Amino acid sequence: MNEERYIEFDHYIANELSAEEKITFEKQLSEDPEFASSFEIFKELNLHLENKFGNANELKAFKKNLKSISAAHFKTKKSKVVAFKPWQYAIAASVAVLVGLFVFQNINPSFDDYNNPEMATFIERGDANANLKLAQDAFNAKEYKTAIPYFEAVLKENKSPEIQYFYAISLLEENQFQKAETNLSALKSGTSVYKNKATWYLALSKLKQEDYKSSKEILLTIPDDYEDYDQVQQLLNALD
Amino acid sequence: MANATLHPDQIYIEGLANNNSAIIQSIYKKFVPKVIHYIRNNSGDEDKAQDVVQEIMILLFNQAKANKLQLTCPFDAYFFLLCKRKWLNEIKKSSNKGVTIDEDLPSINESTEEMVTETEVFEEKQQLFDLMFLKLGDKCQEVLKLSFTIKSMEEVAEKLNVTYGYVRKKKSLCVGQLTQWIQETNRFKSLKIT
Repeated sequence: MNEERYIEFDHYIANELSAEEKITFEKQLSEDPEFASSFEIFKELNLHLENKFGNANELKAFKKNLKSISAAHFKTKKSKVVAFKPWQYAIAASVAVLVGLFVFQNINPSFDDYNNPEMATFIERGDANANLKLAQDAFNAKEYKTAIPYFEAVLKENKSPEIQYFYAISLLEENQFQKAETNLSALKSGTSVYKNKATWYLALSKLKQEDYKSSKEILLTIPDDYEDYDQVQQLLNALD
Repeated sequence: MANATLHPDQIYIEGLANNNSAIIQSIYKKFVPKVIHYIRNNSGDEDKAQDVVQEIMILLFNQAKANKLQLTCPFDAYFFLLCKRKWLNEIKKSSNKGVTIDEDLPSINESTEEMVTETEVFEEKQQLFDLMFLKLGDKCQEVLKLSFTIKSMEEVAEKLNVTYGYVRKKKSLCVGQLTQWIQETNRFKSLKIT
């Protein structure tokens, strides 16, 4: 085995060759196809091993998750498979069509099913910031139209993700979609604790506008460690 | 590949790489029924379909993790073709018993064909690399496993109770050994791996 060669490969990858050595090395790469192909394989092996050992835990977690999702999928599928005789298929199909005709109009999930804004609890006593207290009270009383100008006043002085989040919900409740979505999108691309919640509300905003496709696309970007993930899951299923 | 445009269905690939349950579930819901249907109509059953689907999902996870999966075609066609070819290979392997293949050849888009081939080559390479790895001596396997798990070679040296210089050299030579074997295999199979 050409030991020197592989030691040199390793040094080149780790960027440990001197400037001159590097030039010689690269010259050989471009002139000697056998040397170049050997280096390509060496590099690719490094990547492969990095992936194999570096992601071993992630792969394990993935396999475990996959197995349980697969089992759940195949189980529910199996329970649905009942041995039908051909004529029973015909009956089942016509019943399905009839039922379909009746429920088709409201088969889509609606915003109201998922609209449960949490309570705003910014301050306990009113003396700290009058506008903030008024915004909080109006919001909790579901008087969103009243709350909006108070939130705007607060945000002028202090633009915190928390206030922005509750402000955006108020806008959404009042069907001011564009403004609501601008604020939610800003939170979504930020790093605050409201990131996932804002993404969820962004999906609800699309839902309220009956843009089911966009709603779904947004839902799919929410990571499954989000605290209210079961809601996400539920809506995704309803949208399918 | 770099100039081909990324298909929006790349979200499924990213979802797999991030182990995102909602995405995995939606793949099962949307794309797996077609695979089950195909396998059942071609000498298989639901359990076989379940295995094929899992194998392909793991393959896609690995390829995505290696940053080598940029989808340029719809996921639907790509996924179905991968599963289908995996299944056909499997029955070919055990085809002393009679099999029925219900071959309906829908027009397969060129970029789908290409993507599928890329994934299959990736799988073949992985299998070859893993096979060669097992041929290495215990010491080499241990050094490589530690080097690529721990990353800091100083720590690896400490753990193995050898010098930094030794472990660095050992690592290069072990990967070198693999390189040499694979080069020989390539010549043998006249199969261009890189």
